[in-house]
Amino acid sequence: MEMKNKDLTSGSHVLEADGIRVVFDGRPILTDIYLRVQTGQIVGLLGRNGSGKSTLLQAVFGARPVPDASVRIDGRRAVPAFQTPGLLNYLPQAPLLPAGMTLRRAAQLLGVDPLAASAGFPELPAQLDCHLGELSGGSSRLWQVLLLLHANTAFSLFDEPFSGIMPVHVETLGAAMQQARQRKGLLLTDHRYAELLPLCDVVYLLQHGRLQQLGPNYRDELVEYGYLLD
Amino acid sequence: MGIWGTRLRGIWLFYRGVAPALLLISAALLLVMQLPALVPLPGLSEEKVSGVPPGLVLAKLLSGLAVWYLANELRPQQYWFYYNLGLSRAWLWGGVAVLDGGLFIVAAEVVAWLWK
Repeated sequence: MEMKNKDLTSGSHVLEADGIRVVFDGRPILTDIYLRVQTGQIVGLLGRNGSGKSTLLQAVFGARPVPDASVRIDGRRAVPAFQTPGLLNYLPQAPLLPAGMTLRRAAQLLGVDPLAASAGFPELPAQLDCHLGELSGGSSRLWQVLLLLHANTAFSLFDEPFSGIMPVHVETLGAAMQQARQRKGLLLTDHRYAELLPLCDVVYLLQHGRLQQLGPNYRDELVEYGYLLD
Repeated sequence: MGIWGTRLRGIWLFYRGVAPALLLISAALLLVMQLPALVPLPGLSEEKVSGVPPGLVLAKLLSGLAVWYLANELRPQQYWFYYNLGLSRAWLWGGVAVLDGGLFIVAAEVVAWLWK
């Protein structure tokens, strides 16, 4: 039975994914995956360049069909997940909006109040009638994150949300994410670990195709696994 | 706006993105269909064509496949926004096929009727 939107956008939910195996040119990218995110959590996903972080997010989102992949919401199968209303959204590294679409129109289609979404960023409301291509890289990225963060979904998967955004806005965006956590679960991957890690309740490291949940001393483990320098 | 209202708007928006190429092809095919009646050329029948000949439908179908292939090759990132509206590629291109195919059949019938 298909879940209703209102079922997912309120209350507590658990998103789980496993069985995801991806091979590129004979090289296994993802082999041993178990991922769990629950509403009220910010989960960080770290890994070296080319380790398969974006592939994993796309597989969970459902845009990349993976045979035998199991994505479940509260134990119920949801594949492809993006077709389940109100379940999740995904920010790719590539520009999100079609060329020529204004931010106001995008917000309308995503069901987001753009003024509420851009609260805390005084210069953004004046850009509402612009296309992404008319904005600086940082402003464009910030708008894309804010639109999906404020969309009414139980989970958001963000691939490099801080990319190109200036430090003062990253701090404000971090605060907005902490606020959004009260109603949704966030799965973030970004190489700006200094900004990302303080936000996270749970940290995963993707290495050699395996997804590992790190313990409370994740910084030491990240050094040990060669992701950070001592 | 309900979920289906949003999705239908998404399909319409996606169609608008590929419509210029598809409509241009439709216009060219309809022109070719009427060419024997417009320009008497040696070796070509001067009979006016009525209805929608199967060859025309086949040409439209093949050109549609070419547009689909080129759109996927040249603009593979165009789908992300629509995925976030809950729309798969099948829904998007299915919508395009219905809208563009319907428009093409109607236009072909109108052109044929005008030339009667």
